[in-house]
Amino acid sequence: MNLLVVARWTVLEARRRRLLLAGVVLSIAFVVVFALAFSLLYHSQERNLLGAQAGDSGPVSPREQLLVLSTILVVLGLYGVQFLAALLGLFLGVASVSPEVDSGALHAVLARPISRLDYLLGRFLALAGMLTVYVVVMSGSLLLTARVVAGYEAGDATRAVGLMILEVLVLLAVSVLGSSVLPTLTNGVIMLALFGLAWLGGIVGFIGSIPPGNELLANLGTAVGLLLPADAVWRGASYHVLPSGLLIASSVAGGADLELPFGSTTPIAPALLAWAVAYPTLCLGLAVACFRRRDL
Amino acid sequence: MSRTASADRKERVAGTGQPVPAIAMSAVHKAFGDRVALHGLTLEVGAGEVFGFLGPNGAGKTTAMKILLGLVRPTGGEALVFGRPPSDPAARRRLGYLPEHFRFQEWATGVELLDFHGRLSGLGRAERAERIPEVLERVGLTGRGGERVRRYSKGMTQRLGLALAILHRPDLVLLDEPTSALDPVGRRDVRELVRELAADGVTVFLNSHLLTEVEAVCERVAIVNQGRMVASGRLDDLADGVTQLRILLDRVDRDLLALVARHGDVARVEGTAVTLAVATLDVAPDLAAAVVGAGYRLYGLVPVQRSLEDVFVDLVGEVHEQ
Repeated sequence: MNLLVVARWTVLEARRRRLLLAGVVLSIAFVVVFALAFSLLYHSQERNLLGAQAGDSGPVSPREQLLVLSTILVVLGLYGVQFLAALLGLFLGVASVSPEVDSGALHAVLARPISRLDYLLGRFLALAGMLTVYVVVMSGSLLLTARVVAGYEAGDATRAVGLMILEVLVLLAVSVLGSSVLPTLTNGVIMLALFGLAWLGGIVGFIGSIPPGNELLANLGTAVGLLLPADAVWRGASYHVLPSGLLIASSVAGGADLELPFGSTTPIAPALLAWAVAYPTLCLGLAVACFRRRDL
Repeated sequence: MSRTASADRKERVAGTGQPVPAIAMSAVHKAFGDRVALHGLTLEVGAGEVFGFLGPNGAGKTTAMKILLGLVRPTGGEALVFGRPPSDPAARRRLGYLPEHFRFQEWATGVELLDFHGRLSGLGRAERAERIPEVLERVGLTGRGGERVRRYSKGMTQRLGLALAILHRPDLVLLDEPTSALDPVGRRDVRELVRELAADGVTVFLNSHLLTEVEAVCERVAIVNQGRMVASGRLDDLADGVTQLRILLDRVDRDLLALVARHGDVARVEGTAVTLAVATLDVAPDLAAAVVGAGYRLYGLVPVQRSLEDVFVDLVGEVHEQ
């Protein structure tokens, strides 16, 4: 089946270009740095808090303070993972089709009895597969580290990782769409700008949600989130990273205790989730429709 | 290389007994925005023919070839290969193609690239194992298949492109400037390859502006210029369509030109030599007598064999002047 032939070729390309090797080495470095930083910070804070326990204990118990610290560290670590994976998804997507159109290497391939649909889907599936493995391994390692060091339990790790994968697929699909209609450099610039805009949209929405709340800002954030549901999906993922105990504590304290500018203490809206799931399919459909008509 | 005999390769159009042409383009029109690349190109190439497609750079040769491969969609008219539109993958299964700039994935080795293309063309594992070393040997790359394409010289890359084009034993091979990066030995190899393909009944469609290459291997040619067909036919007919006489004299003046113009059309005057296009060489004795009778000294009267290059320059030059 031609789709699988192209997917296999794409994985071979990643190996030959040493992309896989670089990915593995840098990921290991990331996880090691996170594990070191996490355990050092956690243990020193643990000593401080538990040592001072005898004297003065405020309204929040030292255990809860430790939980807040672990949560912030885990969310920040996973934020780093999703940021790297998102950029990786964007770059791989941008480089998926157009460089070979520009160089002419694709001409000989598409003159073979393969449909352009099979070609695009084969490329997408191979890249999506590699990115999924990357997200699962990286976020899994971080969550496991937090569990071993601090006994940290995410509210719903599977959903969190699933949403992080969805975010990366959204970015991969939109950049594959760009790659099948635009020259590489143009697409790269547009995709990076869109990604930055989605990030800014998330921050704007967050500011809009701070009590007493600004409806205009919140709506602006939502609109940007619809344009490119990347940051918004990450925020949905970060909600499931929070431990359930913390959420209860936070709601008891009126929700104001925990503000995460890069995360969210509320789950993703079902309508936004549905849109984010449909988004990659729509992008790929549009990519195939445009690429089929394109003169090479 | 063993192949089926050419007679077996020719299919017939159902009901008519007519052989299906390898290539049939009728009134194919292609515009890229405002720029028109092809103005209603009509062309037919029979199965088993070696066909030369000539024209200056930018004449529309590559566009026409890309339309036959389904890489470019015509804005008007119809192109068929073996009776099917090139957008149909089944039609492309029978095509082999060497792109003009022969750029391939440089990170791969030659064998990996051949394997990938073999899979895409539907060759099974056993077929690929047999065929890949065979084509590498055929193009003179034995022992180099394991190297990355990045390390190949331009000539080697073009040879690899030829191997890719013939890998799956296609019925029609489209070669876009196949010798542009090759040295004289490489060019001779390509000529031999084209002759072998022809002997096996494979149709060859050759894009080139190297006229000697085309003269050496093609039976029929078409000349395009600025997206229009300006001539087509058998090579012999094209070159022999007009006969010329070259007259060498002691002097050339107005009276002499008037005199010789009675026997033909003056094509060129170079110093004291006049080239005259004539209907038949039989005018030569009368022409000689007339010139000598008028008091000119005649040093030579030579029939000129027109080469494809002469035809090409005349036709393409004419259009340029319009």
